[in-house]
Amino acid sequence: MSRKVAELEGVVKRYESGEDELTVLSGVDFGVERGEFVTVMGPSGCGKTTMLNILGLLDEPTEGTVRLDGKDATDLTEKERTLARRESIGFVFQDFYLIPTLTAEENVDVPTAFSGGSGGRARELLETVGLGDRVDHYPDELSGGQKQRVALARSLVNSPGVLLADEPTGNLDKETSDSVLDEIRRICDDGVGVVAVTHDEKLTEYSDRDVRLDEGEVRRTGKVTE
Amino acid sequence: MTRKLSPAVLMACRNLLRNRIRSALACFGIVIGVIAIASLGILGFTLQAGFMENMGDVANQIEVTPATGGDGMGFGGATDDTLSEREVRDVRQSAVGASVVPVRQDTVDIEYGDMSTTRTAYSVSEPNVLFEAEDGRLPAQMSSGVLVGNTLADTMDANVGSTMTVDGDSYRVVGVLEEVPWTAPVNPNFGIVVPENELRDEEYSSVVVEERSADSAEATAERIDETLNRRDDVVDVQESSDLIENIQEQQRLLTMFLIAVGSISLFVAGVSILNVMLMSTVERREEIGVLRAVGVRRTSVMKVLLTESVLLGIVGGAVGLVLSVGIGAVINHFMLGDAFLVFQPGNVRYLATAMGFAVGISLVSGAYPAWKAANEKPVEALRG
Repeated sequence: MSRKVAELEGVVKRYESGEDELTVLSGVDFGVERGEFVTVMGPSGCGKTTMLNILGLLDEPTEGTVRLDGKDATDLTEKERTLARRESIGFVFQDFYLIPTLTAEENVDVPTAFSGGSGGRARELLETVGLGDRVDHYPDELSGGQKQRVALARSLVNSPGVLLADEPTGNLDKETSDSVLDEIRRICDDGVGVVAVTHDEKLTEYSDRDVRLDEGEVRRTGKVTE
Repeated sequence: MTRKLSPAVLMACRNLLRNRIRSALACFGIVIGVIAIASLGILGFTLQAGFMENMGDVANQIEVTPATGGDGMGFGGATDDTLSEREVRDVRQSAVGASVVPVRQDTVDIEYGDMSTTRTAYSVSEPNVLFEAEDGRLPAQMSSGVLVGNTLADTMDANVGSTMTVDGDSYRVVGVLEEVPWTAPVNPNFGIVVPENELRDEEYSSVVVEERSADSAEATAERIDETLNRRDDVVDVQESSDLIENIQEQQRLLTMFLIAVGSISLFVAGVSILNVMLMSTVERREEIGVLRAVGVRRTSVMKVLLTESVLLGIVGGAVGLVLSVGIGAVINHFMLGDAFLVFQPGNVRYLATAMGFAVGISLVSGAYPAWKAANEKPVEALRG
């Protein structure tokens, strides 16, 4: 039984536009274990975000297998994928993507709101990420770092096994980045597997493993700094 | 989202408040549509109610006249233009329990003060069955004096107690009649009513039967027709309720036409909501993508968006309803003299129809944008 919480095996992703065919991922094998912090780095257009989207069941591979908690999730229906995302995956985006009409607490609650709510977990999570005094603030009343911490809390409200972060520090200054990365490290230490797609070499200081993606293939794996 | 509101309603309300002017304008379209439907409906219904208020008294009456013949133009049928004593007796036998009033009529010369004119005079045995007195008394059996029609009394300025000359004989004016609806079988508004046997023409021109209700009038009319027209068409039997029903049907058609015209504005309002919702979902494409990405189901996203469009319909409809009641009250005040008649079931039906239509059209208008937004792949939406 695999210990990997999310896994790709021989994943190929091709896009067709007219007669042209563009291969974004060509046979990617990748996995993340519980409590492991993995960064995925590489030049723009190398397929990092596509890989993250397939891992997070937002996109489907052209070939290959996606596993979630060891179970094949490649051929799930749209409804099943939505359910799997709600139950097992947390997302953090570069642009935070908070709903501007909802307060911090309501934003954190969004993933569970339509299935009975989080029962107070949203507030606890906000307190954990240091925003206990900002629960009723709207996104436009929060700084960039605070917004990303609200987004982090949102990604954890469903107690996911894996957290997928796309450029989590892309819009943050150095100091704020550090505090957000400290938070992600802590989440990891709580047993959540984290995959962060990034250009920011800084993340490697916090990660357990670094994967370099180039032209749709995993070129190197290990600690980049090693 | 721990508030009392469901997450769909909470998110919908907040989204609508985000762009208040746009939401208000979409609501305004619905307000206009509801006012158009409800007010025109109320106007039509009030016209009908006003008509019935005037005509209701004669709805139980049946008029029996000599048959005019098959083509309805007086050709080819019976040539006799009067009813015989025997025919009147047959009518009485067919209408047991009802008031049967044979009517004679003739043209007479009238002089009153320094005015002289030629008018129709009616002679009936029981004027109190057919008419009401505006002034003076209405005898159960008329033996002397004359009753003056409402319009003629106004024209001549005739008063009860004064003397009127009819075909050279002097009569005392014993009463002025109330205005008779134009659908009534005998209409002496422009003429006079004289005692029986005072007219040169001794044949009956018609017989008026008054039943207790419109239903029994229908049965009696059938009986008269079966009895008197068994062999030949001797008489024409006309129910006042038939005529009234015909007119009411015309009025109903007019009301439906008015409502159809009003509905156009509500359709336009629906298009406006469609436009607003489409714009709104395009603007919030990424937000909706995030909702889907974090595990919110398509049906839940649709619920949020449909709630938004229905809320526009409900708020616009409610405001339109309040204004329509106000407009309806004014219409009823001026046409029927009682503003509260706007709450009659007939009017409430139009108000409910307008409100239902407003909510329905909002739901239909919101359906396509909601479906489109909810079914977009989250990965596409997040790509921007």
